[in-house]
Amino acid sequence: MNAHTVVVSKVLVLDGDEIHADTLKSFCEECNLIGIKPPLGDEAQVMAILRSNVDLGGIFLYENFGGAILQGLTLAREIHAARPELPIFLRRTEHTAASVLSDRDMAIFRCIYTIDNLQHLRENLDASIFSRVYPNDLVRGITELTRAALAMLFRDCDIDVETPYLVKDRIIYGEVFTLMPIESSWCRGYMMLQAAEQIVLDLIRRLAGKDGELMTFRELNSVLGEATNMVWGAFKNRYVSLENVRAELLTQVPIIINHPRSYISFGSDDPQLCLKYTVQERNQPTNPPVPIFQRFVFNLSWSPDEFKENPTIEEFVESGELELF
Amino acid sequence: MAQVLVVDDSSTVRDEVCNFLRENGLAVITAVDGADGVNKLKSDPSIKLVLCDVNMPNMDGLTMAEKVRNDLKNSAVNIIMLTTENNPAMKARGKAAGIKGWIVKPFNGTAVIASLKKLVE
Repeated sequence: MNAHTVVVSKVLVLDGDEIHADTLKSFCEECNLIGIKPPLGDEAQVMAILRSNVDLGGIFLYENFGGAILQGLTLAREIHAARPELPIFLRRTEHTAASVLSDRDMAIFRCIYTIDNLQHLRENLDASIFSRVYPNDLVRGITELTRAALAMLFRDCDIDVETPYLVKDRIIYGEVFTLMPIESSWCRGYMMLQAAEQIVLDLIRRLAGKDGELMTFRELNSVLGEATNMVWGAFKNRYVSLENVRAELLTQVPIIINHPRSYISFGSDDPQLCLKYTVQERNQPTNPPVPIFQRFVFNLSWSPDEFKENPTIEEFVESGELELF
Repeated sequence: MAQVLVVDDSSTVRDEVCNFLRENGLAVITAVDGADGVNKLKSDPSIKLVLCDVNMPNMDGLTMAEKVRNDLKNSAVNIIMLTTENNPAMKARGKAAGIKGWIVKPFNGTAVIASLKKLVE
């Protein structure tokens, strides 16, 4: 994996073979992968687990997962039908690796590997899940300015952020999401904030005290909209330069949203950078933290070699201070 | 009669700024975008200060400032931009439109209330 990024990815590990468990675990750690395994004996619930994890980078599947020979293939067909965007990496044994799968089954898998050839798996991980490099300074900067914006809007709350991760899924989290174009000479695309409507609305109501009783989803829309605006503004101030604006900056592509299926597409197959923030009320430590997910989709152009921060302007005025002309 | 007009498409920002100004003794009304802001200024000549966002639908804040000066011929009202933007080119356009100042969000009422009150007097 690229040494200068700290971005990970989550993979659903459907292996079940305890003999190679430590090998796969070490491999995941080396490749910056966070493995999610179904509880032992709960293999029947795999599709339910898949539905509850909508921000995955891929799936590691053992061909004999579930106990019976090639039972994993049946599961692979079901997973692929439900989540065609997720790359499935199939592990075969040394004995079966030579046997040929049908063309239809072969098309399901991103790669087929054995435990003795993890290098082949690593190369395919680099080509699919880790195909896009997100500069470390950019990721760190995004978390700083987003935490600052959320802290301003959710007062008396601690804002934490988990390790950033790459996602191949195109599933929307929650019911509410904001969408903001980002345009610069080195990147073009969108930022989204996604949240579950009821838990964020409940939080806003609690923070507003007695005024919260009258709040509806419209206040929630406004708060998330302003959070998006503040993050976008800070991002532009720090990273967007319109020097050498090119004609292709006028291009756009349609964004397709199928809300009953919680599906959104920007037309690009590239992995998206995803960060999960949690908002925890200091006065209510027993309340569960409220998650807000942030994704960056640079589907229109991506040139990380040209990434740079804007130079500090000479007359530095703190945000919130009045600069008189 | 209002003293201050707060113009922002975000109800969250309008509420925060208005509540703070009212707690500090100022009479405040609001507008949801630049076009609404122009109409509010036309109908209430008592307004002395406008706090205005830049990025808004229908009419942005800088266009609103230009219309206030050129179409309404109102050179007396003090206009302060309250925005996420910190772009020198935008500030230059604002200066050319006769705005009085610029605040980069988030709004820090305590830091600016004394200056804002002077602009209202």
